[in-house]
Amino acid sequence: MNRRSILGLISAAAAVSLTACTGGTPGGSTAPTNDAEANSIRYLVEQPEDPEDLEALRTHLKTYEQANPGTTVKLEAMPSENMRTVLQTQLRSGEGPDVFSWGSGPGYAGALAEAGLIFDLTAAYEQYQWPVYDFAKQRVTFDNKIVGIPGEMETIGLYYNKDMFAEAGVEQPKTLAELTAAAQKFKDAKKTPIAAADQEGWPGGHMLSMALGSRIGSQGVDALINGQGSWNSPDVIAAVQQWQDWNDAGLLGKSPTSQTTDGAAALFYSGDAAVLPTGSWAIPAIDKNAKFEVGYMPFPAESGAGVFTGGLGSGPFVSASSKKTDAAVKFLNFLVSPEHGRWTVEEQGTIPAYPVDTEGIKVSPLFAQVLKDTSTFSEGTGDVAPNIDVLQTDRFNDVMWDGMQGVLSGQQSPQEVAEALDKVAKK
Amino acid sequence: MSRANAHVPPATRRAQTRLGIALILPLMVMTVVFFLFPLVNAIYYAFVDFNGINLSPPFIGLRNFTELAHDPAVWPALKNNVIWIVIGTAAPLVIGFALALLMWKVKRGSLAYRVAFFLPYILPQVAIGVVWGWIYDPTRGWLNQVLEAVGLDRFAGGWLGDADTALYAVLGTAVWATTGFIFLILLSALRNVDAELVDASRIDGANSLQRVWYIVLPQIMPVFLMVTTITLVGGFSVFDIIFVMTGGGPAGATEVLGTYAYSSAFQLNRISYGTTLALVITVLAIPFTVALNRLQRRLSLQGTGA
Repeated sequence: MNRRSILGLISAAAAVSLTACTGGTPGGSTAPTNDAEANSIRYLVEQPEDPEDLEALRTHLKTYEQANPGTTVKLEAMPSENMRTVLQTQLRSGEGPDVFSWGSGPGYAGALAEAGLIFDLTAAYEQYQWPVYDFAKQRVTFDNKIVGIPGEMETIGLYYNKDMFAEAGVEQPKTLAELTAAAQKFKDAKKTPIAAADQEGWPGGHMLSMALGSRIGSQGVDALINGQGSWNSPDVIAAVQQWQDWNDAGLLGKSPTSQTTDGAAALFYSGDAAVLPTGSWAIPAIDKNAKFEVGYMPFPAESGAGVFTGGLGSGPFVSASSKKTDAAVKFLNFLVSPEHGRWTVEEQGTIPAYPVDTEGIKVSPLFAQVLKDTSTFSEGTGDVAPNIDVLQTDRFNDVMWDGMQGVLSGQQSPQEVAEALDKVAKK
Repeated sequence: MSRANAHVPPATRRAQTRLGIALILPLMVMTVVFFLFPLVNAIYYAFVDFNGINLSPPFIGLRNFTELAHDPAVWPALKNNVIWIVIGTAAPLVIGFALALLMWKVKRGSLAYRVAFFLPYILPQVAIGVVWGWIYDPTRGWLNQVLEAVGLDRFAGGWLGDADTALYAVLGTAVWATTGFIFLILLSALRNVDAELVDASRIDGANSLQRVWYIVLPQIMPVFLMVTTITLVGGFSVFDIIFVMTGGGPAGATEVLGTYAYSSAFQLNRISYGTTLALVITVLAIPFTVALNRLQRRLSLQGTGA
């Protein structure tokens, strides 16, 4: 081989290998050089459903900046479907945000903690005595280190268009059979019965969580997550099968694996879909966009109303590679303050995982319902089934999301999904 | 040593050598920093088990490669790569060449056509992916709406969510985005085609296809091979458009080695395994790249082409 060929080969190899994933290690950013720079932090959040919520947050953060002269918070937003990969890439490169909003639990914060990408906040908890609920604190504790502020409390269930139900003469379904019958009625009326969306993959985890939670309750799901039962069980198969049956019957709209969460929500807002399966984080957008009365119910069980799936959403974490951890922790102290908590309830429609005085706050009926529901699991009095993906590992979630997409696109059977889940859970 | 060099004084030769080194040094530094170092780095990571945290990852020999060979997700991804390479190379070449031939003699509005066809190529892949995602939307996308409007609703479907159509739907977008580039390059090459040869062949009774095949194509062959190489190598390392439009789904139906490498490395924290997959992409692309480059050079030396 002559020199030109060798050079050509090397160039070709290098050109392609530039796409190779060589990773990186945290700590690439340089130390701030002055006070103003040291107190200027980047705060990355998931893009809210409603862009106005982002502007409201930006305005709210100015109160923090005014109360702390010389401090600036640069607010950035990213679509939630991109966060998982882009955030990890940014954090690994050492060029990530100082503070970022991310999901609690092993599948989210746990994965970042395992990769050494999150700052240890154990000392900060002791210093500031943050009043976070113990059950929530456990979700952000890994290897005895508390690594973040647990996210807002959420429920996942089924929103339904009360006006459409009334026009069709359908009562709120109280069992799985009633929901199926109602969905069939809407299909016959050329409407989308259940606006299921699973193009992004992760909604599939919520689908399984809802169906399984209502089938075997919180204790049953907890047992599976804690390795005390087999995922390859008739209940898991039946929970997956339920979604397959609905899809085969055309009750989930056209191709749920082609449908984005935004697209499904748009169908619901426009009155083209009767039911929208999603979480309580959607309430501000529903309150704003739905020009009809909306009800919110748990995924029904075969013999009853079922239970809501619940969990913790996204909360703030500090990047391990941040050179401004003092400013970042101080900012977190603001994000756990009673004033900020009340603001999130009142203005963002989210419920923080620490006590908030809601006296005199005006909220929509939908949000009032969620406030009531979440109070049961913060007090430990109600049965709310856990959201599987925040309590499982990345590998498990990958298999679960692929499995649900596989079932909804006809590539896998519920039995195959259950077998794959069992296999990955035992690894 | 050539006769001319024999008469150059040694001092001048040394000065020429120093100048030569100074001229190529920037390129050599760039090659080492941006090509060789990442390549060596990638090879190193393929033989260790790096998870992104441990700065002294254990050496595991060929384990990443043996796992890769037995990984059930690799072969479907490779098959998708092959489909992408074949269709994603052939379709834009054929369409781009056809458009270039149609536009060859067009004078009026030529600039507008060139801009219109080339525009998709300069758009960010992310923007293209998002917009085409809307077009393919199962309920409100205009593709299904058009099909339904003309009575072809039986063909309307969930383009990006159906395992049978998802890869081809994304490919369609990629072909749309790439064709303009090939069109413009080939159109420029056609400007250098000897018109007298074409006229002579017409007099000799050659039909349109024969003129294209025997007269036009040989004259632009080096350029044709150059754009083929670029498109083909892009097919091996395709990532962004698939990542944006389907993320490799549904359930791996559009997974290619690039997206699988990315998800292994950055979603499952398996940096080494992801790097090994990326190296495989490199190794697969090299023979095609080298062969096409050699062919192109040979044709250029023969004096064939534009």
